[in-house]
Amino acid sequence: MNQTHLSTEELADYLHGELLAPREAAVRAHIMSCPICERARAQEASLIEALRAHARRAERELPESVVANIRAAVAQQPPTFWDRLRLALRPAVLLPSAAAVAVALYFGFTAMHGTARATTIEPAYYIDNHAAMTATAPFSDEAPVPPMLTSENAPFADERPVDETR
Amino acid sequence: MEQQAFLERAIEQYGKATYNFAYRLTQNEADARDLTQEAYIRVFRAWKSFKPGTSFLSWIYRIITNLHRDELRRRKGRYLEEIPEDDGAGGTGRPLAVEPIEEYIEGHLSEPVSKALASLTHEQREILLLADVEGCSYQEIGQIVGCSVGTVRSRLHRARGQLRKLVTRFMKSSS
Repeated sequence: MNQTHLSTEELADYLHGELLAPREAAVRAHIMSCPICERARAQEASLIEALRAHARRAERELPESVVANIRAAVAQQPPTFWDRLRLALRPAVLLPSAAAVAVALYFGFTAMHGTARATTIEPAYYIDNHAAMTATAPFSDEAPVPPMLTSENAPFADERPVDETR
Repeated sequence: MEQQAFLERAIEQYGKATYNFAYRLTQNEADARDLTQEAYIRVFRAWKSFKPGTSFLSWIYRIITNLHRDELRRRKGRYLEEIPEDDGAGGTGRPLAVEPIEEYIEGHLSEPVSKALASLTHEQREILLLADVEGCSYQEIGQIVGCSVGTVRSRLHRARGQLRKLVTRFMKSSS
């Protein structure tokens, strides 16, 4: 390694801390043992120091007018879509809005479909329908007893009652 | 409002650094003021896109360099007095000859450095400022200027070679 000197590129990378650890150690060791590369390193470092010194000398405070202009400019910025959405979804706005929507939906529905009526069965319809059903199944257990009992329609009319006293 | 608080905190903590970076980049106060102002308006608008845990300075430097490039493009190179790059200036495997830089580091060097920086292309200046003055890593610089680490390295070496040459030239001419 002592035979070839370090390049300015590698020295700059070394000074910027951009070499991998093993290479950095090797470069450091070389610089310590090579006066020519140590001088080159010092020159590279002095260039960096010159730039920093120049920057320090030219350093200035942020003018108040810039801050004031920034504040004035952002105050005029229209809110973004997401900001508007977020503002609209605040609970103070969202809850009354949701209640209003629910009421509007309810009244809108009833206005379109009319008031829902209770399901009622007319008595006449019930009797007619029931009579029709029993007529189709007269022998079912639930068939009503005919309204008038005569000897003609009495069940078991041909059977004589048994006189058990005899 | 959260957005407003973010902006105020950013200005308070990084306003000065941002302004100075803009000043070094543009080399004049009026442009630095405009650039800083526009950068913080962008920060205000895009505050949600800042990822907590990342470097705010890297973020705002990226905004500033992009705005500066746009401005230069808009002005159609009015400020671009480019000096042709000397690809051989960097040299490889050979230590530098004795240079006057280290002898004049304080005092005498300020004006030549200032002139040399002003004579660089904006691309060279921004990369030199980020690496040598701001102390950004090559990776950070790559993220700020939008290129790979390898490109940062080669651009930086070219810029340093060019700066060295220009400083020497301006020092000779002033003496």
